[in-house]
Amino acid sequence: MDDQPVMVFKDVVKVYPLPSGDVTALDGVCFKVEEGEFISIMGPSGSGKSTLLNLMGCLDTPTSGDIYISGTRTGDMSDKELTELRRDRIGFIFQYFNLFPLLNIIENVTFPMMLKSQRVVDPEKARAMLRSVQLDDELFTHTPMEVSGGQQQRVAIARALINDPDILLCDEPTGNLDSKTGAGIMELMSELNRKGTTIIMVTHDPNIASYSRRTIRIADGRIVE
Amino acid sequence: MIFWEIAKRNIRIHLLRSSLAMLGIVIGVVAIASMGILGNSLVLAVSDSLKTVGDSVIVTPHVGGTMGGFSGGAGGSSSLRITEQNFQQIKRASAPNIAIPVLQTSDRMKLGVGSDEIVAAIYGLNPDDVPDLLKLKEGGYSRGDSGVLVGSTFAQDNNVKVGSRIAIGTDGNKGTLRVTGIIEERGMAFDVATDSAIVVTKDWFDQAYNRSDYDKVVVKVKNLDDLPVVKTAIENQMNKRDKIVDVMDTRKTMETIFQAFGQITTFVSAIGGISMLVAGVSILNIMMMSVTERIKEIGIMRSIGAQRKEVMSMFLYEALILGFVGSLLGGIMSLLGGYAISSVMLQTTEYLFVPSSMIHIIYGMSFGIVISLICGIYPAWRAANLNPIDALRHE
Repeated sequence: MDDQPVMVFKDVVKVYPLPSGDVTALDGVCFKVEEGEFISIMGPSGSGKSTLLNLMGCLDTPTSGDIYISGTRTGDMSDKELTELRRDRIGFIFQYFNLFPLLNIIENVTFPMMLKSQRVVDPEKARAMLRSVQLDDELFTHTPMEVSGGQQQRVAIARALINDPDILLCDEPTGNLDSKTGAGIMELMSELNRKGTTIIMVTHDPNIASYSRRTIRIADGRIVE
Repeated sequence: MIFWEIAKRNIRIHLLRSSLAMLGIVIGVVAIASMGILGNSLVLAVSDSLKTVGDSVIVTPHVGGTMGGFSGGAGGSSSLRITEQNFQQIKRASAPNIAIPVLQTSDRMKLGVGSDEIVAAIYGLNPDDVPDLLKLKEGGYSRGDSGVLVGSTFAQDNNVKVGSRIAIGTDGNKGTLRVTGIIEERGMAFDVATDSAIVVTKDWFDQAYNRSDYDKVVVKVKNLDDLPVVKTAIENQMNKRDKIVDVMDTRKTMETIFQAFGQITTFVSAIGGISMLVAGVSILNIMMMSVTERIKEIGIMRSIGAQRKEVMSMFLYEALILGFVGSLLGGIMSLLGGYAISSVMLQTTEYLFVPSSMIHIIYGMSFGIVISLICGIYPAWRAANLNPIDALRHE
């Protein structure tokens, strides 16, 4: 990895045209994320957190302004290229884990490997990844519905990391877990960050945000802190 | 092939509704294939019963034609005959093929003392021509004028055996003949339909009915490719000025009959095709349900890097599996159904295990698979083009 920031937002504006009138979700947002950072994004409901996360995850494109992921400008990229960017450089962790119920745990983790153009599936790497998120070997062949919420989130983290992404994007990663399990997950994320993974996390919980090393506060579509 | 695996598992997890969708395809394949097999078996059955007469050119007086060289009453088409002179012209035109003149009428006859009189067709043939035209299954050809050959159905229906006597005419006034042979079954025939008839010598016919002009001339053509040539030669010879004979190429007529059968088969298969379309709508419906149920899953896949075409392939695989399994089961059931229908309707299954019948099973199965795939395209396209953000938010 070179010295350039893993993510740059330059005057990013996102406007949603609605029949009742345009709604500006983000209004001139600028920030940089350096490699190895652990950032939490906080803000009240409707402040633009989800829009920001969608733009960071290349699931959406800005109305104006530029977004760079590891030096690549996303604005002019096709749907196919954006999908490849998500596959190769971004890992997603969702509040509701979002594992595939038809696949067992190993298959869930290897799934992103199968999306890569080489389609080289390395189950041993998946097993090592699952062990690194402290999941017992005996659970590997279970389906997601057969394990607890905390264990499902560990599987989701392993899945997000399997393609060695530059950035890990987390949307309320502990929002659906009890406080003890949530703390365990946050310890795990801190550990990953210490090992060099860049993490950007959306949360409304100050306790969870305290695990990060920088907090971006957003209100009415603008960064306020 | 993780998308193939997901498609398989999704079908397995929704086994009941998947089975119902497949049942539609099974019914569609069975309908198309069974109708095709039945139609083809009918064609083969008719073809078998007609093949003995597919090598002839049949010359008959032109109905409504001028009297020209023919004898008979003025304008009465029923009294039109072919004279000996005309026959000789036909014979020359069709040489070296054999031209056989045929006399034909029907009369009352009695088959034994105390039995009822029946009416049957009587053919008068030159004894020398009979072996070229008719094959016997029993007895021998009659040489003298007192002998008669009988058709197989005639023999069976009237319990006639070689050696039986038949009194011809009202109260036997035309004379009594002895059966010398029983003719092999000929089925439907354009030349002489002897199955329910009797065949006497030309001389006896002349003497009994007092006429020597012919009702038709049958030309047996050795090389089937010469059929049109012989037909044209006779027409050119006989119909130079006026159309005085009708010339029928039996192979051409058979082709027309088979063409009509083919059209009927296509028509009934098309009716079977409608049931396949209904099955296709059922597949479409199931696939749409599958997409709606899995919108969130599609959103997750797209967000972690699945391309549109990969999402699309997952749903197409699902449609393909439904179509393939349904078609396979339908193909097996068509074979069983075809066997049952052939056994019941045609009393034989010899026409079932032939390529021209089996191909209808392949048609039915291919149609089933193609319809399933076509009906899977729209749901798959819809799934692939979902907005990932909207899909992720879907509950």
